[in-house]
Amino acid sequence: MSILHIKDLHLGFKTLTGHVDVLHGIDLDIAAGEKVALVGESGSGKSVTARIVLGLLQETRTARISGTVQFDGQDINAMSARDRAGLRGTEMSMIFQDPTSALNPMFTIGNQFTEVLRRRDPKLSKAASHARATTLLDEVAIPDPARVLGAYPFQLSGGMNQRVMIAMALANTPKLLLADEPGTALDVSVQAQTLTLIRDLVEQNGTSVLFISHNLGVVREFADRVYVIYRGNIVEDGPTDALFANPQHAYTRALMSAVPRITGAGLPEVPEVSDDFLAPRISHGGAL
Amino acid sequence: MIRTLRILAANPLSLLGLILVCLITLAAIFAPWIAPFPTHNGAVVDFLNNNRAPSARNWMGTDLVGRDIFSRILFAYQISLTLGVVVLAIAVPIGTMIGLLAGYIGGWLEMILMRIVDVFLSIPPLVLAIAMMGVLEPTLTNAMLAVTAMWWPWYARLVYSIARGEREEGYVLAAEVIGAGAGHIAFREILPNCLPAIITKMTLDMGFVIIIASSLSFLGLGVQPPTADLGSMVAEGARYLPDSWWLTVFPGLAILVAVFGFNLLGDGLRDVLGVDE
Amino acid sequence: MTLLSLNGLTKTFETPTGPVHAVSDVTLDVQAGECLAIVGESGSGKTTIANMILGILAATSGEITFDGQALSAKRSAEQRRRIQLVQQNPLSSLNPKRSIGASVRLGLDVYDIGEKSGRWGVVEDALDAVGLSGDMRTRAPASLSGGQRQRVSIARALACDPRFLVLDEPTSALDVLVQARVLRLLNDLRVVRGLTYIFITHDLAVVRNVADRVAVFQSGQLVELGETTQIFSAPQAAYTRQLIGAVPVVDAAELNLRNKLAEGV
Repeated sequence: MSILHIKDLHLGFKTLTGHVDVLHGIDLDIAAGEKVALVGESGSGKSVTARIVLGLLQETRTARISGTVQFDGQDINAMSARDRAGLRGTEMSMIFQDPTSALNPMFTIGNQFTEVLRRRDPKLSKAASHARATTLLDEVAIPDPARVLGAYPFQLSGGMNQRVMIAMALANTPKLLLADEPGTALDVSVQAQTLTLIRDLVEQNGTSVLFISHNLGVVREFADRVYVIYRGNIVEDGPTDALFANPQHAYTRALMSAVPRITGAGLPEVPEVSDDFLAPRISHGGAL
Repeated sequence: MIRTLRILAANPLSLLGLILVCLITLAAIFAPWIAPFPTHNGAVVDFLNNNRAPSARNWMGTDLVGRDIFSRILFAYQISLTLGVVVLAIAVPIGTMIGLLAGYIGGWLEMILMRIVDVFLSIPPLVLAIAMMGVLEPTLTNAMLAVTAMWWPWYARLVYSIARGEREEGYVLAAEVIGAGAGHIAFREILPNCLPAIITKMTLDMGFVIIIASSLSFLGLGVQPPTADLGSMVAEGARYLPDSWWLTVFPGLAILVAVFGFNLLGDGLRDVLGVDE
Repeated sequence: MTLLSLNGLTKTFETPTGPVHAVSDVTLDVQAGECLAIVGESGSGKTTIANMILGILAATSGEITFDGQALSAKRSAEQRRRIQLVQQNPLSSLNPKRSIGASVRLGLDVYDIGEKSGRWGVVEDALDAVGLSGDMRTRAPASLSGGQRQRVSIARALACDPRFLVLDEPTSALDVLVQARVLRLLNDLRVVRGLTYIFITHDLAVVRNVADRVAVFQSGQLVELGETTQIFSAPQAAYTRQLIGAVPVVDAAELNLRNKLAEGV
């Protein structure tokens, strides 16, 4: 069954001068245990989609949201703000682009872990949370968990903070993990390790993932299935292998041709923006 | 500019601030023409009408020697606003200059300048002003001098902290690579990015300068009689409370309205110009 | 012909916890007209090298020679003019409070290039040359897209009429379609104007397609230097192989090559 079911999602913002439409009817499904990528350029609407799923944009007064967003059978748009907040950090969690700024500099890693774990189990003792955090840090291959738990984020490297954040995001074994360009702020080799780590852990826990990225290469390595988004419309979707082997939509093809290759075909093509980019969605199937 | 005003006017509190500030400024400028008793700013005595409660003739009553309080408040605004403008006109450029130098150039200059600033900031403002007025003659000029002396360090610190942050921005590096001089970088590149914060603080500070100046006058260290000043009016009337309440209440309200207006406007500007403190 | 050479270039920072060797004994030549990629991760010293070439930092020891003349951090205006910079982040590299024309014009005023009255004309030509239009010169950076801002940065560097550009991750912050255009623009400008580039990046796929040669840095040391084709057919250093192994790829041919190179056959 579907963990996340998005149907005909529209989003607009009220501005001083009028109205801006950002999403024009997004359909997207994620099955239990499935890793799905939403790939697009900046301003395509991929990050706002994640914020709607997290129930954050619903609190913005200028946002106009319509359509269905079902998480594990519950309609997120129809929930109270309080119920939505209750889901975050327990049933769904998020990994951010820059781990060092996403962690609170004023508290030790250990304290932040306790905070996270108590969202699920408010009566959890300090000692029990410490023990659980140690196990979690061990799972993300952090060598000396006791030292890291007593440390502040700025005392750790970017790669280490990234692992801590992954461990925290998965601490309450959420059903859905949202990853917004994880590791792009980090070095390439650390980024590669980060992705492998996230993949291993979510496969082990059966967690579904909505992976948001602009990097086609990263998406190909991580996701089971891909949605390509352009100016608030899904233009193409399908299983990763099928879509990368045989991109059909003009926009997806343009994106692919613009990616520089290490096989060295010379400077990438510069496709002109064309009306074909707005052509109807092409689906390779593969969804539930 | 027009856009700033339009966004400002969209917030009712900011609009109220803007209106109050405009009204006070106009009242001060046109005081000699608006005031029902234009001569009452000076040494006028009218014992036939002294210490009268508010009436149709004297909207805010008269003082102990029979001068119209409403008229005197209008003239007092003149002094308060002039004081505010002059103090800021001196303190802001000095503070900005020092903050920019310390923030952009850094090194030993930063050490020396900011320690001097710290010394000034560590003395309570009113105490410093009282000390200065004790040494100097209590005149309007000296009052301005005293207030200015304690005002510039705040601007130095504000501009310094912004300049420190801007120094790390890419556009500063770009200008350095091109080989632009320190003067260009400080004044043409960094200063424009400090201006929204400076303008906001100036608006808020107009209110505070008025309070401080009134406090000095209240203590007898500022503007001297017979010239009308809000602080000294409150001080004189305070002895006759609560019977002759109009002697203190109206000048006090006048201070309140001015400070309130400038603060509302300053807060509004801070939101519009996107300044964080 | 060698345009720029680094000879035993070293930079050591003194910190409270002891000296940090940001750049250790780097020796390499850059040929006139070539594009040399400098590749490395954070802490590799690539930005420190760039800053020494630009004269922002003084070297602890070693020397930089440009066009046969020794180049120190204290350099003449003429020496400074010839080496310009394009930065990574187009958001912060333009002053938000100045028009883009004013930013581009800065070099003309600093180096006193051309008649004062004709400088706005030169600014407009520079904007035209990077694919923007001259009448955009009064616009604020905030009203431009990331790609347009990066073009303004390039125009600003070109207005100084340099011979050598240090490109510090010039396309890392851009979307892939925009990146493709900016890379083309940079390549065309190099050919047309006879420029020489140092292209600092962590993106090896970009390096493969824009650079003539590649210098790989790790912890301040030059670990491998070679022709691009050679690095991408037979990388020598283990670290180079590791970097290539981490490149995200999009097609099967790339995947094969990457796996082959990463294993070090």
